[in-house]
Amino acid sequence: MSGNQYSGKGKLIEERWFKDSPEGMVLVGSRCETCKKTFFPKKLVCPDCFDGELKEVPLSKKGKLHTYALSVMGPSDMEKPYVIGFIDLPEGIKLFAILTDCDPWDEVLKIDMEMEMVIGKIKEDEYGNSIRSYKFRPVVTEVKR
Amino acid sequence: MREVAIVGIGGTKFGSHTDRSIRDLGVEACLKAIRDANVKPKDIEIAYAGNFAQWEWGQGLFIGQVVLRELGLTKIPITRVENGCATGSCAFREAWYKVASGACDIALAFGVEQMKVVDSSKMLSIFTGLQYAEREGDMGFTAPGLFALLARRHMEEFGTTREQLAMVTVKNRKFGALNPDSQLPNAVTLEEVLNARMICDPLTLPQCCPRGDGAAAAVLMTKELAKRYTSTPVYVAASVQVSGTYPDEESFTFFDTDVRAAKAAYEMAGLGPEDIDLAEVHDCFSSAEIVHYEDLGFCEKGEGGRFIEEGLSDRGGKIPVNTSGGLLSKGHVIGATGMSQIIEMVRQLRGQAGKRQVQGAKVGLQHNAGGFFHTDTACCVIHILKR
Repeated sequence: MSGNQYSGKGKLIEERWFKDSPEGMVLVGSRCETCKKTFFPKKLVCPDCFDGELKEVPLSKKGKLHTYALSVMGPSDMEKPYVIGFIDLPEGIKLFAILTDCDPWDEVLKIDMEMEMVIGKIKEDEYGNSIRSYKFRPVVTEVKR
Repeated sequence: MREVAIVGIGGTKFGSHTDRSIRDLGVEACLKAIRDANVKPKDIEIAYAGNFAQWEWGQGLFIGQVVLRELGLTKIPITRVENGCATGSCAFREAWYKVASGACDIALAFGVEQMKVVDSSKMLSIFTGLQYAEREGDMGFTAPGLFALLARRHMEEFGTTREQLAMVTVKNRKFGALNPDSQLPNAVTLEEVLNARMICDPLTLPQCCPRGDGAAAAVLMTKELAKRYTSTPVYVAASVQVSGTYPDEESFTFFDTDVRAAKAAYEMAGLGPEDIDLAEVHDCFSSAEIVHYEDLGFCEKGEGGRFIEEGLSDRGGKIPVNTSGGLLSKGHVIGATGMSQIIEMVRQLRGQAGKRQVQGAKVGLQHNAGGFFHTDTACCVIHILKR
């Protein structure tokens, strides 16, 4: 993929999922002040206790790879094959995500490895405009020189 | 609750029926079930029609009335039921509930679907479009994707192998080859399954159920009445329906719906997994069947791979599973799938399953999971049937 795949071109798949922060774009969920559970996407009311006040919170950009798969088939508007996974976020959320920067997937990816969120193109709309969303990639560890 | 018996069953062959109307398919199944039960249409007091999404690809709305009018079954309450891939089982369960609760004495349930009238890419876009609860579908979340993710985690935690996954298909297609109603008529070898086209790694094409057209139906009545109509009643010992909880914090190697439904069903029947002689489980993908073995208590957690490898779910094993050939052979004819599982179970318990017959079968379990999003199925229905 080209180096500018994380640039800001193209519309977000769902504006309300995202928020700008000092760390760049982050996902936002809601946290219940009573039962302390965090939900994504944001909820109108806490589905657990139906009681507490919900506060908008940014979600961690890092998580662990719970499981992954290579999807050879898929929706017609997506480039195939593509790699998918569930990411365990520290907030207790299992997040479905497209995985990126993991070629060859069956050598690079390991269950429970550290992953980080990036924003990038996942597909194009019918007019050829990019649609961007969150994706996860293996955390790049610094190479000692 | 009153004891309820299944007295009549009927179904079409599953496969491609694009030359017929969906009404014809429903009529064929219902007529067979009504004749098998030896009842008159006017004896039936209520009916439920399972149909998943025919509104996307043809006549589906008030499909119950459209079908049953052809048999002179009018006037009575008739309702269409939808619950994802568990649609047929939910239609059956509504009929059971009405009889068990005393609201009526004789009821009809059927399921019907005609999926081959649209092409597969249109169908996929309908399915992925359905996942908008969390927009996962918009990001490439598909049914094979979910069951591949499930398989991968299971392989990692419990050492389940690609070969064990493929063995599910080999077993089910072997049974399917003995079922004249099966869509795929031939058995396959382990090598053929492993070397087939990859759909979603580790699942190859034969590990993903095909779609299809067809219908299945059953007539239910009270135990007392059943004595007048049949010498081979099959009783509903348990009927349980649950919805998903979509857990976030647990390992994705099970379905919470399965576990809770199974526990409730065994409790209701006063039976345990050790009493089950055979089962029809929702094998939409090979990995699903392995996980269901564990969730339903047929084996310990993590032992599902070994369960298939040691032949414990095969003929002569501890609990033969999917003697009909399962979804992997018959195809997943969504609205009809659950009903089709039930009629296979009734055939087995009556001793009418021909070359697939499990000798001496007395108690059978039917499991149908419906709809999926996030980490769970939306619905799970389990029936325990006994003779």
